[in-house]
Amino acid sequence: MAKKIVVDPIPRIEGHLRIEAKLNESNVIEEAYSSGTMWRGIEVILKGRDPRDAWAFTERICGVCTTVHALASVRCVEDALGIDIPANARIIRNLMNATQVTQDHLVHFYHLHALDWVDVVSALKADPKQASVIAQSISAWPKSSPGYFKDLQQRLIGFVDSGQLGIFANGYWGHPGYKLPPEVNLIAVAHYLEALDFQKEIIKIHTIFGGKNPHPNYLVGGMACAIDPNSDTAINIERLSMIKKIIDDTQTFIDQVYIPDLIAIAGYYKGWLHGGGLGNYLSYGDFPETTLADFKTLLWPRGAILGKDLTTIHDVDPRDAAQVTEEVSHSWYTYKGGDGKGLHPWKGETTPNYTGPKPPFQYLDTDKKYSWLKTPRWKNNPMEVGPLARVLIAYAKGDPMIKDTVGLVLSKLEVGPEALFSTLGRTAARGIECKQTAGFMRHYYDQLVANIKTGDYRTFNSERWDPDSWPKECKGFGYTEAPRGSLGHWIHIEDEKIKEYQIVVPSTWNASPRDVNGNIGAYESALKGTPVANPDQPLEILRTVHSFDPCLACASHLFDMNGNEITSVKIV
Amino acid sequence: MKHSKINIIGLGNTLHGDEGFGVAAVNAFRESSSYPESVSFIDGGTQGVYLLDFIESCDALMVFDALIPLEYDRGVYVYRNEELPAFIHRKMSSHQMGFSELIGVAKLRGRMPKELVLIGIPPRELELSLNLSAEVSGLLPEAVEKGRAIVDSWLSAEE
Repeated sequence: MAKKIVVDPIPRIEGHLRIEAKLNESNVIEEAYSSGTMWRGIEVILKGRDPRDAWAFTERICGVCTTVHALASVRCVEDALGIDIPANARIIRNLMNATQVTQDHLVHFYHLHALDWVDVVSALKADPKQASVIAQSISAWPKSSPGYFKDLQQRLIGFVDSGQLGIFANGYWGHPGYKLPPEVNLIAVAHYLEALDFQKEIIKIHTIFGGKNPHPNYLVGGMACAIDPNSDTAINIERLSMIKKIIDDTQTFIDQVYIPDLIAIAGYYKGWLHGGGLGNYLSYGDFPETTLADFKTLLWPRGAILGKDLTTIHDVDPRDAAQVTEEVSHSWYTYKGGDGKGLHPWKGETTPNYTGPKPPFQYLDTDKKYSWLKTPRWKNNPMEVGPLARVLIAYAKGDPMIKDTVGLVLSKLEVGPEALFSTLGRTAARGIECKQTAGFMRHYYDQLVANIKTGDYRTFNSERWDPDSWPKECKGFGYTEAPRGSLGHWIHIEDEKIKEYQIVVPSTWNASPRDVNGNIGAYESALKGTPVANPDQPLEILRTVHSFDPCLACASHLFDMNGNEITSVKIV
Repeated sequence: MKHSKINIIGLGNTLHGDEGFGVAAVNAFRESSSYPESVSFIDGGTQGVYLLDFIESCDALMVFDALIPLEYDRGVYVYRNEELPAFIHRKMSSHQMGFSELIGVAKLRGRMPKELVLIGIPPRELELSLNLSAEVSGLLPEAVEKGRAIVDSWLSAEE
């Protein structure tokens, strides 16, 4: 008899991601269905507004990616209006973006994903002396004495004894899927806590350039910050040296903590290579060295891989109506010309049409429409986006830094490149990329200092600020590679106002439902074939879905005073 | 006891009607106040782990947010310190930690503020909208005044 697992994190107001998985008699996932359970209607809110204000609204749709939406938004408006931004603005945006990716990857690994691999309760049984020996054998990181680990362990025991397991309350502790020895678990918990301090420091770069954080300021035509080495209030020598210190510390932490932890943890899981999925990968590219239109200069290359074939990188043009499309055959929307007909975002429509069951319900009718996410496709192919896609594309294109780091990780783990096509590969790619973007932070810091030294303090191009200078009608495309993948904003401006605005977010690519041809999405594909040791505790599902760094229904936030559990796991 | 650093954070999604109550309250509070620099107003939006620094960097923390005790009547609710239940959210889908998880992290790290106050209103409308409902909008001044009375007491030497 087939079983069905439902993982539905948010039963009430905030819809998020819901996974329904059908297991066979051996508890292996036969089919998985990924559903976004909340309508994100930002496109409707933006209609009729001033395009220069769009970024401030779009940055509110996501609880993490505020800056990436702001960036994609100002880029699409600048593209539509033909605005070139000054060199300083390009460099500062790149530096802020590299900061965002680095911080986000670090937080993802330690604070969202690590507990899918690390058993916190097991850490209570660790021998602190042995933990110290292991820690010192894998890294020169100074916080590794037996006393340090003993002290931490006692704090943890006190925390658990107080009955407030808090952040660690909902784990599947003791699950047979956990493979780390207690000492490695203890090291990982120590770094979980240390990483919290690092992420706080890194993000101060956003406050310096964006005026505030969260929600730093962006500006169509450049950046809102002033540069003046001799001013107390502008970007000056003191602030630049603060940034340099943050970058130094960040690189040290990644080299001495994140990467060694990743390799140590992965070593115990290299027999668990499930979760590969589609084998199709897409990246718009990012980090322009000149202009965005000149995409050959992007430090993160643009391209697509189909069927795991690393010998052919396909050219990608998100402006081409035949390439990036969204259809709604399995999504709760209606298209005038038929739900199964893919529309390019410039021709996109956002007409909600909920036909699912009335909540509360047990299962979705997955033969019909079952998600609030549309179904994006590249040349009719379902695609995975995110760190694994970007790393594979850069690897296939021969990027020296990526080739070296991937090679190092693979050789330490004693596995071949085919191991990258897995959940673990996705997690490793994020770490490899984090090391790379920390290097980008330094690269852009150096560029900024060099450019300021030439006497160029310009951060804003005001030529097209006045709507009188705009064409009556124009269209633009703005893109960025957000931490979790390709993000595109498509705008249509008419009579100085937004006529249409369409956003295709990374998690829509990855969490998309089936398309009209029956092709499944990236999550759905990655979950297929995964054995689930205990259907009451589907750790394996969480592990694979988390490895994509999902950010759905980005994002609602309510206090639940009843302390209700949000992840509900139901079995039939 | 006088607190040397006070942070006032508004949480919520401003695109979803009353979900934006916390941010609206903090903005209204900021505009109607002239506190010393030791008092900071923070539009926290729907941020997760970014907010940890604002929790850990103060002696007294005030949070404005929409509440969902669905059985509760509409009104302004104030919870202080241990009155806040130890609620836990494992947010599988949204990338970030929830605010309650951040409180847990701050506790584990021994960096909790001495005072913690949550001021909330159960939401009425959560549909896509940039505005608060009339009902929640009507309660907003009361929420701000309740917050102001507490911050004033924090700033006075007596408490």
